[in-house]
Amino acid sequence: MHNGHAENTMNPFLKIIAGLWGLVLIAGIALIFWMKYGEDSGSVLELFVSAETDPEVAVDAQHLISNYCIDCHGPDKQKGKVRFDQLNTLSSEDYVELLSDAKESVYYGEMPPEDEPQPTDEEREQLLAWLSSHLDDSADNKLADKMRYPHYGNLVDHDLLFNGEIKDEAYTPARRWLVSPQIFQERVMDVFELEGRDRDSIKQRGFYGVVNPFVMPSQSGVRDYDTGELGGGHLLVMMNNAKWIAGKQIYATKLGIPNGPKVEPENPKDNWYPRDYEPQAFIDILSQSGKPTEEQLIAAIHTQFGLTLKRKATDQELEVYLDLMRSVGEIGDNEAVLTKMCTAVLLKSEFLYRIEFGGGESDEYGRTMLSPREAAFSISYALGDQGPDEELFKAAEEGRLQTKADYRREVERLLADENYYRGQVDPILNGSSAKSVVTSHPRIVRFFRDFFGYPNASNIFKDPERAEGRFVNPRRGTTGTPGAVINEADMIVTWHIEHDQNVFENLLGSDKYFVYDLMPAEKGYATVDEWREVWEKLKDTPWETESKKVYDEYARYLASKKSISLRDNRRRKPENDMRLYMRFFADHFGKGITPMPIVPWQHGYQKHHSIVYGLPPTPSSARYYDWKKVSEEDRDRDFWDYALEQPFSIPNRKGILSHPAWLIAHSHNFQTDPIKRGRWIHEKLLAGRVPDTPITVDAQVPEDPHRTFRDRVVEVTSAPDCRKCHIHMNPVGLPFEMFDDFGRSRSEEQLEHPDNLIKTGDGELTFNTYSTLPIDPSGALSGTGDPALDGDVKDAIDLIDRLAKSDHVRQSIIRHAFRFYMGRNEMLSDSQTLIDADRAYVASGGSFKAVIVSLLTSDSFMYRKDLKD
Amino acid sequence: MNTRRNFLKTALLGVGAGSMWPRDLFANAPAALAGAGKVPTRFVFIHKGNGLMPHTLVPPSFSKDLMDKEKNKQAYSVDLDGHSLPDFMAPLAGHHKNLTILQGLSGKMCTTGHHTWCSSLGAYKANEQISSIKWATVDFELAKLYPSPFEHIELACFPSGGGNSRGNIEGIEKGFSARGPQQPNYAFGSPKVAMQELFKSVSNDKAAQLMYEMDRKVLELVSGRERVISEMLDGIEHQKALNYTDSVDSILVRNRKIEEMSDIIRQHIPKLPDAYINSDTLSTLDRQDGLNEIMISTLISGMTNVATFTVDELGTPYTGLPKLETEQVNLHEIGHNKGYGGLDAPAIRDTVCHQHMNLVNKLVSRLKATPEINGEGNMFDNTVVMYFPDNGETHHSVGTEWPFVVLAGDNTPLKIGRRYIRLPKHGVEGHKTLGNWYTTLLNAYGNPIDHFGAMDVELDKFGIHQKGPIEQFLA
Repeated sequence: MHNGHAENTMNPFLKIIAGLWGLVLIAGIALIFWMKYGEDSGSVLELFVSAETDPEVAVDAQHLISNYCIDCHGPDKQKGKVRFDQLNTLSSEDYVELLSDAKESVYYGEMPPEDEPQPTDEEREQLLAWLSSHLDDSADNKLADKMRYPHYGNLVDHDLLFNGEIKDEAYTPARRWLVSPQIFQERVMDVFELEGRDRDSIKQRGFYGVVNPFVMPSQSGVRDYDTGELGGGHLLVMMNNAKWIAGKQIYATKLGIPNGPKVEPENPKDNWYPRDYEPQAFIDILSQSGKPTEEQLIAAIHTQFGLTLKRKATDQELEVYLDLMRSVGEIGDNEAVLTKMCTAVLLKSEFLYRIEFGGGESDEYGRTMLSPREAAFSISYALGDQGPDEELFKAAEEGRLQTKADYRREVERLLADENYYRGQVDPILNGSSAKSVVTSHPRIVRFFRDFFGYPNASNIFKDPERAEGRFVNPRRGTTGTPGAVINEADMIVTWHIEHDQNVFENLLGSDKYFVYDLMPAEKGYATVDEWREVWEKLKDTPWETESKKVYDEYARYLASKKSISLRDNRRRKPENDMRLYMRFFADHFGKGITPMPIVPWQHGYQKHHSIVYGLPPTPSSARYYDWKKVSEEDRDRDFWDYALEQPFSIPNRKGILSHPAWLIAHSHNFQTDPIKRGRWIHEKLLAGRVPDTPITVDAQVPEDPHRTFRDRVVEVTSAPDCRKCHIHMNPVGLPFEMFDDFGRSRSEEQLEHPDNLIKTGDGELTFNTYSTLPIDPSGALSGTGDPALDGDVKDAIDLIDRLAKSDHVRQSIIRHAFRFYMGRNEMLSDSQTLIDADRAYVASGGSFKAVIVSLLTSDSFMYRKDLKD
Repeated sequence: MNTRRNFLKTALLGVGAGSMWPRDLFANAPAALAGAGKVPTRFVFIHKGNGLMPHTLVPPSFSKDLMDKEKNKQAYSVDLDGHSLPDFMAPLAGHHKNLTILQGLSGKMCTTGHHTWCSSLGAYKANEQISSIKWATVDFELAKLYPSPFEHIELACFPSGGGNSRGNIEGIEKGFSARGPQQPNYAFGSPKVAMQELFKSVSNDKAAQLMYEMDRKVLELVSGRERVISEMLDGIEHQKALNYTDSVDSILVRNRKIEEMSDIIRQHIPKLPDAYINSDTLSTLDRQDGLNEIMISTLISGMTNVATFTVDELGTPYTGLPKLETEQVNLHEIGHNKGYGGLDAPAIRDTVCHQHMNLVNKLVSRLKATPEINGEGNMFDNTVVMYFPDNGETHHSVGTEWPFVVLAGDNTPLKIGRRYIRLPKHGVEGHKTLGNWYTTLLNAYGNPIDHFGAMDVELDKFGIHQKGPIEQFLA
């Protein structure tokens, strides 16, 4: 049996009508069970045959349950508190729930467990048929519905998707797909016709009166699926949003009326409005005191439809919106008439959905191609957050979006366009010390952010003392160390995407990283070279003890150096600043290493996190201001030999999976999380699936101050019930124990417990030291399908090297890319789409843009099929 | 697949401020409104800025032994009978038997310091970014248990400065509660706007009536159009469209129900002095009193069972304080020990807190004076009022303490009445956090959640158990 998509496998769940044979067989079955289980069995038997059960099916099912289930779910054992020998004691509701869960487990191949004897495909189908006969359609629907959600994507058989056996014509179900938070913001900006800097500004800070009604789930993996739907919560938020947006539309329009009355904002503190906002149809209504004409009302409706939905109102829509305006006009003034119409259009569900139903005639497979207008939006939203550009709209209007070649032309054009979608990857990262990366196609970076899940680092809080006080938790005005490393992960992802060669292999296996990346290399070299010159000139002077004298002597020289800024005011004397520089230079040039090209006493300086990459630290300003307090031991401290050219190689680290952002995101507040890390690899790279932790499991790692975390994890997950899932996670998660929960490399694990305290620190300059035990980073890889790669691994680096070489891993990433661009799980009928995308990647030398082009010109992307109930 | 039932569940959480009132839905309307049903429990969260200093809550009549324990932060519990309350708490003297002074909770999982945003109600580190809102705050979780037409009402004397400005303190702004992840709630900043929005269905003001009518027309149009769309679709897409239509319809139904409540709402509509409605003459104390009156009305009329009231925040400018009528007191400066008008900072803190106690007294007394909807006892019997700081123990707080003054009616299942309780201090075995306290509340009233709130990494560090309710309060 394979785990195909719902449509291919739901049909076997046919209802079978019981015949007269039933009564005879019931007696037979009862006898078998009575012989095996005694008195309890009689109750089972009557439940094995329902009014819709084929008696033969019942007999088969009875045997199958007896052979494969009863040992663990019968009189002797009741694993998971499930037993099939006392069905008669269950209420009808519990009975249906149990069989429904059983059906799911059998369908998904979760039961029987892997280490137990397995039924044949035929037997599994028989069991499913029997279970179906006891359940109504709702159970099948429930199963089919589940298959639409991200967590179930990997249930579709990987080999079948890629071995070419499936030749079905691909399609996507006709649908409405909720817009993403980013698209929502763009749509609101469109209502206000914002452009250029006004638009950029809003992207940075958002609208004062608009709350984004959409929240992406926080788990790693593709999150923007078509499964979302508008509900009460969205409506409540949108009602307030619509009121604010419509209010601003009207306010801005009134401001633009020539010689119009003076207008004040409703809220004096919220005085933003779109500049030069002059929809003529609105002006016409607002600038007259009499009742508007029907033509004016119609023009206003079309205008609001255009601003909000990018189309004109249909005749039917015109009729109802006209009714509303007339009706409001009976009790309100022209402003109320216009405001309420604008509000009503903003509350249309269409404003919040992407519409993809297809248009025109169905082909022989029952599919229709996206209408040109739908195609224009689908293409544009695949590549960015904005709606179609002028050229794409034009192509749609002129009938030039109807063939694969048309799609390819537009997709390639927009991928080559450096400006249309240009923007920051994640404005939330902007803070006092960091700015989010700007790139031509931020949405491509967002795919890899979703896939790797490293932005979740911002949800982890650490005790800074455990990292020498150099870890800063997110707080007001800064996203702290998590934000900094997320941004640096964005930088390297963007760098690989922009180079567009062997993208997957590099993201997994490259040893290149950005850390701080303070300025372009050229500028950095110029600064450091000038500093070095100053150091060489002054190093033998008594700059520390007679700084005033030295400064006076070299004042003109120092003033000529642009990279040196000596403050001269009431608080600061230039000779003191000179001394700060020289102390800083002594720490670096004096030891033959390169300093960062900014000084630590620069306003807003927050560069403390190099240690999470396993690099030496960078100095703080306090060190130089309080030089006299720095102990002799600390004065000799080694700092990072800064890399002016970035990205640069960091030894013993490979790709995103050893990037601190990923490691922190996949850690606990206080510990690593080998299980989460292992699960990620199993599900995202090996196309495997791990069921959710059963609610009956108390998933706690035992406390023991004298053992490593690995030991304790292994112990608690070794129980037979746990092992069946953890066998997929632990061997690929434990190798990451070579990194601690901050991302620092380590060979020893500090046993952070009062029992193991060796040295107590003050928590500011000195920190607690604990006894340690060596870490064991060994593990094992299985599931790549390549005997050259599967096998024992010595550590995470070894594991990553193997993963980066695996075809299976590459295909798994392609599957996730498919989900990102299609907004849904793959079905078996998408097999050709996936194979083509994989081939495109390989043939192009690892171009992700080639994957995008392939996906966006596939049948899966272009065709829709209307699926009935 | 979401269903109409799911919508009802989510929409019930959605009570914030807004001029077009979306809110529930009467699936479980209060008995007085629906005609029958269980008596709800009411919860009122009143929080203040600038910290609440634990030592100010210690009854002065405590023995030296108790005072020593207090000083050393040793755990103990004392019956409040026979003890006098601190002077500033004098207004609560008449509610002595319902009173609990709860000391020793910590809130290091919260943002601390000057401002804390949704931290004190959510038990997580929040900031001004909506993205920092991790989950619904505890007041909204409790509101789920006792649905009401408005579900939840938030009122706030907003800060106008001090790093957490809400801009327009007279209007409807993002509050300190959250409806869900990344979903801020909205609060009413002035008695005027709260009156307009909450009572517009019974308003005598012609313009307000017309606006209400026009909003209804808009919703009816949206409902009609979306139903047309749903009828054109099949399968999942049909259900999706229907869900939105049902959402709109539910609000229309809710509004109709509120209209049906108009008699009872009119009966309890606050009668505020004109000065409270005019922002030019409104002192901070008037604002507090006006918002308090409105809150009392919404609770008594059954419009909501849960209310959150920000009596002040660090950036709230204070005017109208007794003996300081001519001063505009800046709480931040009080936090830095600056005096005003001849009073030192501690005395002004006492004056401010005394004013808060007046508000609490008014709330409790009014609920006590109102018969419960089933005729058994009074409304306060089924009410829990909590007064606490939004940021912990002091002006520059670090969250080691988070004092609570609790007033609970006789029917509360919480075993804390009439006690002064000091819990084990932070880092000591048995210590309890804000999360434990909120978990206790939720568990006691029917939400079996294992733990509400984020973990304190400092406690986490040494494996100190910090999940679950405070068992002794549930015993």
